[in-house]
Amino acid sequence: MKVDSPAPVVQFSDVNFAYEDGFTVLENINFSLEYGEFACLVGPNGGGKTTLLKLMLGLLKPASGSIKVLGETPGRRQANIGYVPQFSKFDAAFPVSVLDVVLMGCLQRSFFWGRYSDEQVAMAHRAINEVGLQGKEHRGFAGLSGGQKQRALIARALVSEPRLLLLDEPTASVDVHGTEQFYNMFEELNQKFTILMVSHDIGFVSRQVRSVLCVRKTLQIHPVSELTGEALQQMYGLDVHLIRHDHRCSDKGHICPHL
Amino acid sequence: MSAFIKDLLELQFLQNAVIAGIFCSIASGVVGTYVVLKRITYIAAAIAHCILGGLGVARYFSVVYDLPWLRPVYGAVFTALASALLIGFISLRAKEREDTVISALWSIGMAIGVLFIFKTPGYNEDLMSYLFGNILMVSREDLYLIGALDLVVVGLTVTFYNQTVAVCFDEEFARTRGVAVEFYYLLLLCLTALTVVLTVSVVGIVMVIALLSLPVAIASRFFDSVWKVMIAAVLLGMLFTLSGLVLSYSPNLPSGALTIVIAGAAYFLTLAWSSLRRSKVQNSSPAAAS
Repeated sequence: MKVDSPAPVVQFSDVNFAYEDGFTVLENINFSLEYGEFACLVGPNGGGKTTLLKLMLGLLKPASGSIKVLGETPGRRQANIGYVPQFSKFDAAFPVSVLDVVLMGCLQRSFFWGRYSDEQVAMAHRAINEVGLQGKEHRGFAGLSGGQKQRALIARALVSEPRLLLLDEPTASVDVHGTEQFYNMFEELNQKFTILMVSHDIGFVSRQVRSVLCVRKTLQIHPVSELTGEALQQMYGLDVHLIRHDHRCSDKGHICPHL
Repeated sequence: MSAFIKDLLELQFLQNAVIAGIFCSIASGVVGTYVVLKRITYIAAAIAHCILGGLGVARYFSVVYDLPWLRPVYGAVFTALASALLIGFISLRAKEREDTVISALWSIGMAIGVLFIFKTPGYNEDLMSYLFGNILMVSREDLYLIGALDLVVVGLTVTFYNQTVAVCFDEEFARTRGVAVEFYYLLLLCLTALTVVLTVSVVGIVMVIALLSLPVAIASRFFDSVWKVMIAAVLLGMLFTLSGLVLSYSPNLPSGALTIVIAGAAYFLTLAWSSLRRSKVQNSSPAAAS
């Protein structure tokens, strides 16, 4: 998808990040994401995936280097980023309906009287249809299955019509069949949005993913190989692609398990 | 019951008590919903205990320096807001262990209150009514103050409803939407502080937290929307305080304590009922399969 702006959607130049105790999480990160990209962020726990996501969202500030998201420093144009966290961190008994949750995506930096307009409610219904939750608008969020909760959170991110979707392990605790449905949905969403997804399925990613960012303190971009393995297909029941592992992410070896 | 109604028509202090119970239930149901959903009951309890310091200091100066305008409740409002903001800033900024700091404030506030009440000339019966509440001592002036606080609490809640609910549900996402999360968090703590002050007059410092959380805990099992939980919690709070007042009247029991016992019993009955229902569902499904 081509948009008038020529700048990349996300650009990291020489970014370093360390926590206050001096522990370096990210070192010398350089990468950019083009419009229409569908990229997958993989790496071990503690490797810096979440930190990278939070830097893009402006929730954390880099120690050095520059980050541009949609041409600006994160924190200014957050309305254009749709962030989808993991559903598992939510209070399982919070009394909100699906529609209530999705409408939260319409909130903006305003201090007073935040009633949702009819237009926003209509947009929320469209987003709910888009993720396949129609008919469940007034169901309680707490009573949904894991996959349905994840869909509701995706709808919440879509409702503000962002240009970049950031998904944090969207298919964690979703079964294989559900995962396939999710990837089909992402493929459709990718027609409209640039997508960056943190994935737990290290080693395998869906065929829709174009490039894979491996992060473990430093970052390497892997192209997705055209190879398809029949054995993998049988094992996963999905049309998976292999990540090329012909070069190393770090001097200690590759972070992804070998196939 | 009939004795209560007969006296209610004649005795002003009883009318005040009924109105106070209704007013307090409004604020405690609304703000209690936020407190439970944001999981800050511990902070609410700390603010409640800090209030004793403000009550004690204000009463001491009022008696010793003969300042009749300085009512203990002003000290309570000041201390509650100050401790709420202090706790808020600590939990937003400092890297200290938050619960340790909150515990320290909790006990320091109480200790200051006990010292000043001890040194205040005259009877110290007030200490008991601060700790355990005495709804029958609520005056007309108190009612005006409680009513005004109610208006502030409900007004702010209605105005900022969507933002505060979003902050309670998912603080991080709200921040990515540009919502001023810190502002709403501090606002929530200030609302909690005001609500705690007006609830103290009904059930006392020690039992405030039960009146804030138990009606919400019951209501949130039955409703899928925050405002419905609020309304249900307000109605339950009224039911508990008024039944506590009526049932304690003839046997001359402390009404605050009875209110909490009733609310607690209702809570555990709800828990038992819903776990019974769950096990019924679980038992019936394997039976159907075999």
